[in-house]
Amino acid sequence: MEANQATAVKYDMEVVRWFTIAAAIYAVVGTFIGVYAASELAWPFLNFDIAEITFGRLRPLHTNAVIFAFGGCVLFATGFYIVQRTGGTRLWSNKLAWAHFWGWNLIIVLAVITLPLGLSQGKEYAELPWWIDILIAVFWLTYGFNYIMTIAIRKTSHIYVSNWFTLGMIIMITYLHVVNSLAIPVDWATSYSIFSGVQDAMVQWWWGHNAVGFYLTAGFLAIMYYFVPKQANRPVFSYRLSVLHFWALTFGYVWLGAHHLQYTALPDWTGSLGAAISLAMIIPSWGGAMNGMMTLSGAWDKLRTDYILRFLVVSLAFYAMSTFEGPVMSIKTVNALSHYTDWTVGHVHAGALGWMAMVSFGAMYHMVKKLWGVEKMYSEDLVNVHFWLSTIGTVIYIVAMWVSGIMQGLMWRDYDEYGTLTYTFVESVSAMHPYYAMRAIGGAIFNLGAWICLYNIVMTVRTANAVRGTNAVPANA
Amino acid sequence: MDIQAMTLNDWLGMFFVLAAAFGMVVTYVMVFRPSNKANFDAQSRMALDDDDPIKLGEKR
Repeated sequence: MEANQATAVKYDMEVVRWFTIAAAIYAVVGTFIGVYAASELAWPFLNFDIAEITFGRLRPLHTNAVIFAFGGCVLFATGFYIVQRTGGTRLWSNKLAWAHFWGWNLIIVLAVITLPLGLSQGKEYAELPWWIDILIAVFWLTYGFNYIMTIAIRKTSHIYVSNWFTLGMIIMITYLHVVNSLAIPVDWATSYSIFSGVQDAMVQWWWGHNAVGFYLTAGFLAIMYYFVPKQANRPVFSYRLSVLHFWALTFGYVWLGAHHLQYTALPDWTGSLGAAISLAMIIPSWGGAMNGMMTLSGAWDKLRTDYILRFLVVSLAFYAMSTFEGPVMSIKTVNALSHYTDWTVGHVHAGALGWMAMVSFGAMYHMVKKLWGVEKMYSEDLVNVHFWLSTIGTVIYIVAMWVSGIMQGLMWRDYDEYGTLTYTFVESVSAMHPYYAMRAIGGAIFNLGAWICLYNIVMTVRTANAVRGTNAVPANA
Repeated sequence: MDIQAMTLNDWLGMFFVLAAAFGMVVTYVMVFRPSNKANFDAQSRMALDDDDPIKLGEKR
């Protein structure tokens, strides 16, 4: 208790608390929009002929909500939490952190307004209008500057590996976002990319895949390397492997983007290069996943009772699976079948739901207990229920998309003895219906888990505040 | 290899490929050098030890 009270004085954790609560809310909202959009594909009447809620507008709203609202708030909460604790110092500027919090949430509100109105640059994961791109750059740099300065004033001689992963993310996402967003504004809603044709496609997927690599992978690996040892109360299995993991990921990931453009107007060798490096990246990715899992050596029994640890370890299983699946899909022979099909959607969600969301929930539960100074969540059983809903929902989702995607690919390229396509496109759409319904159900199960998470966190906070009010004991961080 | 046909982009690409490859070699040497093992292994508990209060101004 004494140590906790000392840290409560030393660290700036109020902004971390707010980012954590925001993340829990955005997890519910983002996945709910995803479920609704998925349901529209299965049951199109759900459009209700309202332009603002058609699939084409809800889909980017869903991706922006889960990646930048939910994922972003988790990354900022954990980033500020880890950098302070492993550096033994407060934030360089608490005021800057709050400016960043409100600025980022302003961007999310603007996305909620503009995307349903149909304002889009048409660039995947970079749909928002040009002036919001500028706001993103400003507040992202606000975060980056504060983070780097906090590292600069740390009281420890070593910079823990999680901070390296976060630094890699901050630097690369700044570079990627700024270059990919370079555009000539025409009016407040319209702009044209300064790149054209095949260069535009290449830059777009250089951004697109590196957003996956540095934002959705490196950022969340920072979470994994801190919270898995912390929750398991075991040292990192191999710190040397974690250093190799970081540098291999950093040097290698930037080459992968072209594998999204196999069989396009891009020079053939670029796709081959992207595929070759993708395959090479299995080695550090699996090294990192094994490193995380082996951290539990001698403590595997904790999985029976520690539901938070279950989230963290199962996320690593999904990380390993999706970092194997992705490179396989980048191989030209496989890509010829998988590209433009739902298999890609399944692959993305194996990573997004199974890896990023699960590791996020594990970290959030861990932090909530520390941030509000409680021994247990309001209901540990509900954490377990959430874990199973997340796991089952994810599995149902990705299995549906695997079956649907492979069937699509096979139907699209099947032809008869005269060289005529066997199936019309609409026949393939019709064949997808049961799997689209199954996907919506899987997503709904996952979304239900997010609601339970939010409820559990809110009740934990309320209980902690009530106890604090009674005992007049300050919150511990 | 037709050196004359190399464009600026080709040279830049080659530079970054070689720089990344060199960087990986340096990383491997640094990580696997026996004299660095103890130093790296000592950091593996860093996340576990951060509950301890730290006296401000001291490096640990």
